[in-house]
Amino acid sequence: MGSPAEHATVGGDLTPAAAPPSRAAGWAPRLAAGVRARGVVVIWLALVAFFSAWAGPAFFTLNNARLVADASATTAIFGAALGLCALAGALDLSVPGTAAVAGVVCAKLLADQVPTALAVFAAIGVGVVIGLVNAAAVELGLNPLATTIGMLTALSGIAALMSGNQPVLLSAAGNLNWLGNNHYLTIPAPVFVVAVIYVLGWLLLTKTYIGIRLLAVGGNADGARRIGVRAPAYRVLGFVLSGACAAIGGIVVAAVLSQASPTPDTNELFQALTAVALSGIALSGGRGSLPRVLFGALIIATLNSGLIIHGMAPAWATLATGILLVGALAIDQGTAKMLGFVRFRGTSSRRSG
Amino acid sequence: MLALTGIDVHFGAVRALSQVDFLLNAGEVVALVGDNGAGKSTLLSVMAGARRPTGGHISVDGTRHDFHGPRDAAAAGVQIVYQDLALVDAADIATNITLGREPRRRAPAGWLGLVDKKAMRRVAREQLAALEVSNVGAVTQPVEMLSGGQRQAVALARAAIRLGTDNARMLLLDEPTAALGYQQSRQVERFIVRTAASGVGVVIVTHDLPLCFEVANRIVVLNRGRKVADVERAAADVDHVVGWITGSREPQAGLA
Repeated sequence: MGSPAEHATVGGDLTPAAAPPSRAAGWAPRLAAGVRARGVVVIWLALVAFFSAWAGPAFFTLNNARLVADASATTAIFGAALGLCALAGALDLSVPGTAAVAGVVCAKLLADQVPTALAVFAAIGVGVVIGLVNAAAVELGLNPLATTIGMLTALSGIAALMSGNQPVLLSAAGNLNWLGNNHYLTIPAPVFVVAVIYVLGWLLLTKTYIGIRLLAVGGNADGARRIGVRAPAYRVLGFVLSGACAAIGGIVVAAVLSQASPTPDTNELFQALTAVALSGIALSGGRGSLPRVLFGALIIATLNSGLIIHGMAPAWATLATGILLVGALAIDQGTAKMLGFVRFRGTSSRRSG
Repeated sequence: MLALTGIDVHFGAVRALSQVDFLLNAGEVVALVGDNGAGKSTLLSVMAGARRPTGGHISVDGTRHDFHGPRDAAAAGVQIVYQDLALVDAADIATNITLGREPRRRAPAGWLGLVDKKAMRRVAREQLAALEVSNVGAVTQPVEMLSGGQRQAVALARAAIRLGTDNARMLLLDEPTAALGYQQSRQVERFIVRTAASGVGVVIVTHDLPLCFEVANRIVVLNRGRKVADVERAAADVDHVVGWITGSREPQAGLA
């Protein structure tokens, strides 16, 4: 039953005078809110400005912009996979495994003369099924992190078995250049894939009741359930969207490389995770915006490009990416404190009568 | 209207509720009181479909219902405001108030599940105004920026909307004034009285005896999972109610 201590989470009254200090219009909370809302864009613009001055004339060119966009495309796609699932409240680390299986499935089907569209949709379907399996395990009460890491291992085994542990080459007849290496209006094809995913994802999350509820479930699954939202359905949706995006990412990577590798690219996972962390999406769910993941991916690609154009070894870019991930989490923590979020308010007073 | 018969809830060996009967009529305010651990919130969660009883049954308007979850209870016309409010902190006020009943855009956009954000904000503002809450500020602020009383207002507004849209006729409030100051408690009291006057049956779980005597038509006392008293407010005496709550007074004839 409700003890006085449990009521401590709900205190105050309906007038602004009794509002918590966080609402007082000081500069610090406003700055913190601004950093959370636009920090990732500011960091990216700052990087562009910095490298334009420092890396040399080859950096701030249309050609390099294309290269950066192309390089960030796969990170952005995998970032969307991780981000959509994280918003629904679970971290899906099986993403590179799903990508590997989907890439191999697509390449094998193309090798068997299956029509391209069918092969692509079948591979995306495989991603959806993997998402459903992840979701089923998590709905049974298994820990999402452990489940999806297990899935990652299992999927890399499946990809290896299907491919004989050899890269599956795309033949000249069954190539996916239209999705990988072709340019349209001088823009690389993967950039269009990113655009479609992010526009659809943004519309879903901000304009439809489905996205609104998915975010609500990510933020307070038990609360949403008790007011009648089908919480499990929206968590399942998060995993399915993640699986589908991961599969699309795997197909695009295969298209770009003209071969499907059965080995999951965990480096790609960490880059995507960094992009998601930079975007401010809470890895615990319910908080964040998908378009900002795009800027997270752009930051990583811009950093790589600038350092390489300046003539530094790629290892420096790897180091910088790692620092970015930790730095992004630190900024997230710092701004949350400045805003006075009591992160677990609302769950602390849950009780059984 | 809402009738619970012989409700048992056992958690392993612990009997949270034993053979509790409970009746709620249209337009009536019933206060459910008892000490900590008496089973008040458990009984409320059974009515709301959030907890399945181990035994007994629930009927609404004479029809038996088996609530498998909060959705079933809502479909039968029961709405609840939880003590922890069940709000989504990161979401804004308008989203919280309309969550689960989001106004849709007109077809064909509505077919795609597109919501009408303007209507969402308008509905949220109207509901807060109806609750006489004018100081919450913009309904686009996230709920985590609000004070406790403002959060309570948001949760009440959400329930109030559902009373309208779902044609709900039963409203359950778990400790609606526990965290509130004097003025805000009066606002909640007026909300309860208005809601009951519109024909809705209201159950309030509370430790606040003055509130019981102010708004309730009937007072039901639980003690250690059993119903020990069920009295009309007019016939009730504060000392008797306190005696039942603490267990120092014998249960009413025919109970426990």
